[in-house]
Amino acid sequence: MTERRILIVDDELEFGSTLAERLELRGFTAKAVGGAGEAVTLLASGWAPDVVVLDLMMPGVDGLATLDLIKQHDPRIQVIILTGHGSTESGIVGMQRGLFDYLMKPVDIGELIARINEAAAQ
Amino acid sequence: MSTNLSPRPKFPLFCGISGKDLSPKTRYKCMRNSLLIVMLAITIIPLSVASGLNFIQYQQLLREDSQTNARWNAESARATINAYLEKMEAAITVVIDTYSFEDLSDIKKLELIFKQLKKEHQGLVDLSVVGPDGIQSAYVGPYRLAGKDYSDSLWFHKALARRMYVSEVFTGFRNMPHFVVAASKKDSYSEQYWVLRASIDTETLDRFLAKADTEVLEDIFLINDSGILQSSSRYHGGPMEDFRLSRKPKQNDILIFEEMRGDSSFYRAVSRIPNTPWLLVLDQQGAEARKIWHSFKARQLFTLAICFLISGGVVFWLARFLAGKFREADEARDRILSETEHSNKLASIGRLAAGVAHEINNPLAIIGEKAGLMQDLVGLDQDFRYREKFLNQLASLQNAVGRARTITHRLLGFARRMEPSLTVVQLNEIVQEVLSFLEKEAAYRNIDVFLQLQKDLPVIMADHGQLQQVFLNVINNAIDAIRSDGAIHITSSRENNKTVMVAISDTGPGIAPEIMKNIFEPFFTTKANEERKGTGLGLSITYGIVQKLGGEIEVSSEVGVGTTFIISFPIYSGGESDDRA
Repeated sequence: MTERRILIVDDELEFGSTLAERLELRGFTAKAVGGAGEAVTLLASGWAPDVVVLDLMMPGVDGLATLDLIKQHDPRIQVIILTGHGSTESGIVGMQRGLFDYLMKPVDIGELIARINEAAAQ
Repeated sequence: MSTNLSPRPKFPLFCGISGKDLSPKTRYKCMRNSLLIVMLAITIIPLSVASGLNFIQYQQLLREDSQTNARWNAESARATINAYLEKMEAAITVVIDTYSFEDLSDIKKLELIFKQLKKEHQGLVDLSVVGPDGIQSAYVGPYRLAGKDYSDSLWFHKALARRMYVSEVFTGFRNMPHFVVAASKKDSYSEQYWVLRASIDTETLDRFLAKADTEVLEDIFLINDSGILQSSSRYHGGPMEDFRLSRKPKQNDILIFEEMRGDSSFYRAVSRIPNTPWLLVLDQQGAEARKIWHSFKARQLFTLAICFLISGGVVFWLARFLAGKFREADEARDRILSETEHSNKLASIGRLAAGVAHEINNPLAIIGEKAGLMQDLVGLDQDFRYREKFLNQLASLQNAVGRARTITHRLLGFARRMEPSLTVVQLNEIVQEVLSFLEKEAAYRNIDVFLQLQKDLPVIMADHGQLQQVFLNVINNAIDAIRSDGAIHITSSRENNKTVMVAISDTGPGIAPEIMKNIFEPFFTTKANEERKGTGLGLSITYGIVQKLGGEIEVSSEVGVGTTFIISFPIYSGGESDDRA
């Protein structure tokens, strides 16, 4: 199995970096950035993730707009929203824009990895 | 419940527009009484005034009628007496003009004339001729009066002075009340005046006066100016007795005035009889003594009493009806306000819950991830001295994060405002599905569940999942209320043509009235200190779902007996029953 690359976009850097570290421990290549700007810059630099784990409520560009930017850059990149906000409506809108899944924080690492693997297999 | 109420008045009336200090029962009683008084006043006062005016007007009319009647009767009686006297005077005039003193002094001739006159003039007692010297020269009649000297008699001199004279009533030589009609004539030989005199008894006057008697006549008689009765009176005695007349008419007018006899009033008409010394006095019943007045009063009182009874009855009914309608309207308004308030509260709390859950979820996720990373790192280090202890502590931390996550996810579930996905649902099936989840729990606690589900129960339109949540919450609450050893009865039935209902009764301890009013409030829980802790959202979510699906939820409870929840939903008109389909 090739090493899967995961990008975590979350304004809660403590969360993003910790999650990235845990994913690294499980054999993933994971990077955490604090917002849409950094994510787009990273993607533009040529680093192509298999799956993006994206927060929904972020200052500036929110999760759904970031999803659009990612999909515009490369529609093959699968995106999973991981949010503390339980708005099913946002989930439905995201699905309509090419979102792979919608998960609620706090999430069990096992469940998240299962979803990431499913997304990467797409 | 408010306890700061004013003391309850015995007959509450006009207790202010709001009546805020009174209990609702007293306030509506007050409203009813106030309406009753006001409506009675506006119906009975005009009725009484109209009736009173009618009464006074009729009395006035009747008085005028009585006075007119008295005047007419007096005129009639005066005309009768007048006619009699004129006829008598005419006859005497004919005799005295036809015959000389010499002729009439012949007793036989006088007797013939007397007989003729007596045939035509009732009451004529005797006829006599009195010479210029006052000595009666000829007399025909029942008394022995021939040769009597009238030279000292007033009537004789008045007869000489006038051509014709009608005397007052007097007793004279015969000692019997009578009056005379006398005419005088100058003798052509002696050039002296002599007199022809006719005596008439007073009974004749009584007879003529009696002709005027009517139903309303009380008395009719004649008097002279000196107040001596000239005829018989019903109340004042016979002729020659004294009578005091308070007022006398001037000239030939008829004077009418009111007099009192005992307690009752009457009208007195007094009139002079022309060319006589007499006054006619006629007493007639007062208006208030007449039969027609009594009958009018009785009719008036009867009509008034009937009107009072009818209007009183109608007003009483109307006041009760209106107060009842006000009460119903107020109760409906309060209910709607309360429901709106509850819905608004649910919506506000929903927004608050979503915000709180979101804010908590993020730090919770950091805690979870940090703890997870520590677990990962410690797990990798086999030589770490406190490895097991650390792993145990971190597992507890993750467990606590998991519990917190359950709560925040439930909060978000409460806040979620997604439209339900409506399908045709059979309530009996939902109840049975929910029971399949809970029957183990019930059996474990030794709780018997009795089902009485109506066959052919009409279907409803609802969200299957949300309905499951409704019944899960209510039945779960029933199990929690009983704790152990009890029974739950679940009944489904068609309530009416429009709704179906499911009743869930438990044999739990019941809900105290002060708790009952809060049970649908969010975060209100009675299980805070119990083993199975509650979030206080179950019944609130249930209430919200039932409302959203167009249904109703009612609860009744008796402490020590149990609690019954009745959940009803509108029947889906597109289909009758799954069983029938």
